[in-house]
Amino acid sequence: MNELTRRSLLLGAATTAACALLPLSALAAAPRPSPESPGFAAWVMDQIDDMHRGSSSHGVLSMTVKTENWTRNLTMESWSRGEDYSLIRILAPKKEKGTATLKAKEDLFTFLAKTGRTIKVSGAMMGSSWMGSHMNNNDLVKASRMADDYSIALTGQGTLGGVAQYVFTLTAKPDAAVVWGKIEVTVEQESLLPTRQIFYDEDGTAMRALEFSDYKEVGGRKLAGVITIRPLDGSGEFTRVTYDSIEFDVDLPVSMFTVQHLKAL
Amino acid sequence: MKSLTMAWRNVWRNSRRTLAAIAATSLGLWAMIVYSGMAAGYLGRMERHVLDVEMGDIQVHHAEYVKTPSLYDRIEDPDALLASLDEAGLPAAPRLLGSGLAAAGDSSAGVSLIGVDVERDGAVSLVGKSVTAGHWLDPSAPSEVVIGRKLAKMLNLDVGGELVVLSQAADGSTANDLYTVGGILGGVSDAVDRGGVYMVEDAFRELMVVPDGTHEIIVRRTPSGDLDATANQVRAWAPELETKTWRELKPTLASMLDSAAGGMAAMFVIVYAAIGIVILNAMLMAVFERVREFGVLKAIGVSPRGVLALIYLETVIQTGIAIVIGIGLAIPANWYMTTKGLDLSASMGGLSVMGTTMDPVWRSAVTVDTYVQPTVALVIIVLIAVTYPALRAAFIKPITAMRHQ
Repeated sequence: MNELTRRSLLLGAATTAACALLPLSALAAAPRPSPESPGFAAWVMDQIDDMHRGSSSHGVLSMTVKTENWTRNLTMESWSRGEDYSLIRILAPKKEKGTATLKAKEDLFTFLAKTGRTIKVSGAMMGSSWMGSHMNNNDLVKASRMADDYSIALTGQGTLGGVAQYVFTLTAKPDAAVVWGKIEVTVEQESLLPTRQIFYDEDGTAMRALEFSDYKEVGGRKLAGVITIRPLDGSGEFTRVTYDSIEFDVDLPVSMFTVQHLKAL
Repeated sequence: MKSLTMAWRNVWRNSRRTLAAIAATSLGLWAMIVYSGMAAGYLGRMERHVLDVEMGDIQVHHAEYVKTPSLYDRIEDPDALLASLDEAGLPAAPRLLGSGLAAAGDSSAGVSLIGVDVERDGAVSLVGKSVTAGHWLDPSAPSEVVIGRKLAKMLNLDVGGELVVLSQAADGSTANDLYTVGGILGGVSDAVDRGGVYMVEDAFRELMVVPDGTHEIIVRRTPSGDLDATANQVRAWAPELETKTWRELKPTLASMLDSAAGGMAAMFVIVYAAIGIVILNAMLMAVFERVREFGVLKAIGVSPRGVLALIYLETVIQTGIAIVIGIGLAIPANWYMTTKGLDLSASMGGLSVMGTTMDPVWRSAVTVDTYVQPTVALVIIVLIAVTYPALRAAFIKPITAMRHQ
C-alpha cells in the first residue's frame, strides 16, 4: 500500500475518525451561497474541512477493522482540542487497554500500556498502520485544506440512496504536495453534508473510499455517526468507526496533551 | 650423461646471468603461489560469510513468502520437513520473521524481528558466534535479544540496555514488549547490522501471536553434497513450499562472486604473461650471448638436436632450482597469510560488499593446488619461452654464428 505520504481530504476525515473530532455542524454560521455562485464549490469544501476540526471534544467510539486475516473491535475514548491536539486511548479489548496515541502539533506518540513506555512515532513507523486499521500514522498528523491544494469543480448531480447529491471533482494543483491526483466528493444537496469521497492516484485509479453514514443530531449538530474507510483493491477489507457518544466544547487544558500526562494515564 | 654434465657446467659458467634468471623465475613462481592462495581466500571468505553467517545454503519458505513477505505466509508443518532433513543428515533450523519498530530512550528505528530456535540454529549458522559484545541468545532467558551493531549505535544501546519492540501481531493487536539487550553482533549483513533483532522462538511467538508454523527453514548441505542436488532433494520432500539455493535467493551476490572468480582468473593470465616475458627475456639473453659458442659446437659436429637438448637441459636445471626456491619461500608466506592474514580494518573497517559485511582480515586459503597449479603453469611458460631461442641456436649456420660479434 502506498499510504506513506497520503494527505488531503482523507486526512481531515481520518483524523476525525481516529481522533474523534466529530463533524461539527458546518452549517451554523456562514451564509450558504447559491450553487450558481462562483465560490460555491470552495465554500462546500471548507465546510467539510472545518467540520472535522472543532474547538474541542470528548467522546467514546468503536472501531471495527476487517482484514483478510482477522477482524477486531476496539473501543476507544478520545479527547481533542483544536486541530493540533488529540488523545485517544483504548478501553477494550483488555489486552490492549490503556494503549494510547497522542497527537501534539506535528508529533505523534504511542503509549504502550503493557510495557509502560512511550514511543515517539517517526520515520519508518509513520507509514505503518495505526492500531491495525486502514489508516496510517501519517494520516493522523498531516492535514491540508482541499480548497488550497485542489482545483474544485461541481461536475455532476444525481441521487444516492434516493437523496439528491452534488458531485464535486477535485484535481490536484500542479504545485500542491499531495499524493492524490483526484478526489471525488459526493455531498447531499439539501444539507451539504458529505456522503462519500473517492480518492484516485495520479494515474486515475480509484484507491480508497470514505463513506459517511448514520447522520444524527448531537447537541444541535448533525454528525456522521459512522465513517467507513475501504481500500478499493477488491479485498473487501475495511475500517469502520462508530461514534457511541460525544460532547463538544468541553474544557480541556493543553497540559492534557503532553507525554507526561500520557504516562500518568 | 655427458650432456647433463655439460649443461650443469654451462649453467654455472656465467653464474651472474644464471642467478638473475633463477631469481626472476623463483620470484615469479612465489608471486603466483601467494597470489593464488590470497585469491582463493578472498573468494572463499565472501562465500563462507554469506553461507555460514547470513543465509545458509538453501532456504525453504511458503510459496508466496519470498516475493511478498507476510507474517501470515508460514510453513504450516515445519516439523515434518525438519524430521526428513534430520533423517538425511542435513542440518536445518526454522526461523520466524517479522518487522516492527524498536525504541530505546527517545530514538526509534524500523527493525526485522528474527525468532530463532537456538539449539537448531547453532548447527546452520555462525551468527551466534558473531556476537562481539555480551552473549548469544539463551532459551532460558526469553526476554533477551541480540541486535545488529549499527542498530545498537543508532539507539545508543549497550549490553544490558532496554529495548521496546512495537509491531502488529498476527491477530491485529498491538504487539509490544520490553527486552534486554543480551548481545550485540559484529558485522553480518547490511540488513542485520542496521535492523536485526534476534530473539528466542518462544518470545517471538508470544509477541507476534504466532502459535504455530514458521517462516523460513535454513538448510545446510553436507560437506560433499552438491548444492543443486541437495535443493532438489529438499524440494521433493516439500513440493508445496518454495525451496531456493542461496544463489537463487541472492543472484547478484552469486554472480558477483562468479565474476570476482573470473577477475581473479584474468589477473592470473596477466601475472603469468608478465612472468613469461621476464623468463623469455632471460632465456633470449642466455642463448644469444652464446651464439658464437653454439656456432663452435655446430662446427665440431654437434647436431641441432644435441644443441636443442643441451639448452633444454640447462633450462630444466635452472627452472628446477627456481621452483625449489620459489616454493620454499612461498611456504612461510602462505603460512603467515593463512594464520595471521592481512588486517584491513584500519583502511576499510566494516567493509560491506553487496550488503554482505566482510571480515576485515584477509586470509589466504591454501591447498595442494595452490602450489601445483602455478608450478605447472611456470614449467609450461618456461618451455614455451625457451623454445624460440633454442631453435634459433640449434639451426644457426656455424659460419654465421662464429662471425657473430
